[in-house]
Amino acid sequence: MDSTHTSKSSTLLSNASNILAITAHEFKTPLTTIASIVDLLSIKLQADRYMNPFYEEQLSRITSEIFSLNNMLDEMLTINNIMSGNFEAKKELLYVEEQILPLKEQFRSLTDDHKTLQITMSGTPCKILANSGQLTRIFTNLFSNAFKFSRKNAPTVHLSYQEKALVITVSDDGIGIPPEDLPHLFQPYYRGSNTNGIAGTGLGLTIVKTFVTANDGEITVSSEPDKGTVFTLAFRYPDTYQ
Amino acid sequence: MNARILLIEDKAGLLNTLKSLLELHDYSVITARNGEEGLAMAIRHLPDLVISDIYMPVINGYELLDRFREHPALCKIPVLITSAKKEDDEIEHAMRKGAAGYLVKPFVFVHLHEQIKKALKKNQQS
Repeated sequence: MDSTHTSKSSTLLSNASNILAITAHEFKTPLTTIASIVDLLSIKLQADRYMNPFYEEQLSRITSEIFSLNNMLDEMLTINNIMSGNFEAKKELLYVEEQILPLKEQFRSLTDDHKTLQITMSGTPCKILANSGQLTRIFTNLFSNAFKFSRKNAPTVHLSYQEKALVITVSDDGIGIPPEDLPHLFQPYYRGSNTNGIAGTGLGLTIVKTFVTANDGEITVSSEPDKGTVFTLAFRYPDTYQ
Repeated sequence: MNARILLIEDKAGLLNTLKSLLELHDYSVITARNGEEGLAMAIRHLPDLVISDIYMPVINGYELLDRFREHPALCKIPVLITSAKKEDDEIEHAMRKGAAGYLVKPFVFVHLHEQIKKALKKNQQS
């Protein structure tokens, strides 16, 4: 009886997971259609000499929201894959800075105030054993949060090549995280009590934590409300594995 | 002469909008709603470039790439793939089957146009 129930529950979960994956992918075509309609409107307004800064700004906002919605879908898909145990595990030896540098450009173009991610390094670069796609996702999510919450200064990332491990810190001078939220930060759908009105799914840091752990790394966070947040990640070099 | 593009997409809304955008950029556009219809249109019109979705009824984008590579009149025509799937193995699979480029949905037209110009230029040079 119990095993029948377990089997039925597992089938239901698997079906729900498949439905979610199919639906999330199906959403992407209408999103492409909307983005294309915005492009079409923009070209026609330019051609007919009706374009002005107001129209331009509103059209740009629609495009920006389309890609925010797409990011939310991607986060749902990633969490869905994680929960069904279906995510890539292929690891290779790589330099982390090679994953981070292309993201600098990506984040520069996305901010209105042209803040640029500040990258610093210390020590002699060494390769770590990790999955390239997952590392990119880890940093995309952390940088995205840092840019979203930073205020006066641009977010910074520091790569410290220490004796046995690479220690990476991602810092911002944002609103910070209240102490009571810190223990729950990596739980799915948990959002800080001071993030009302700021877009987000509450899945980004769960994905970060899962992928850091899957790549044999560790992540910790320290934060002070109204001062900022620092995420610290550590990845040991492969020749120090026991 | 303007390049002739065959656009294969099963969602009418996207098909019509992309067609309008391409025509505004002076391309001559023909359309098909699935891979089988797209293959027949390609044989009849011999376009300069094809833009195709992957997941479509009757013949999907991967099968379409196979049919193009096997057909002596179509094997040199560049095929750009558009898909909601962004996983590396999907992209590699399409490229191994001979796709000239791969664009992940959603995309903005400027990126599609860059890939079109690149594929047409490369094809002219070869």
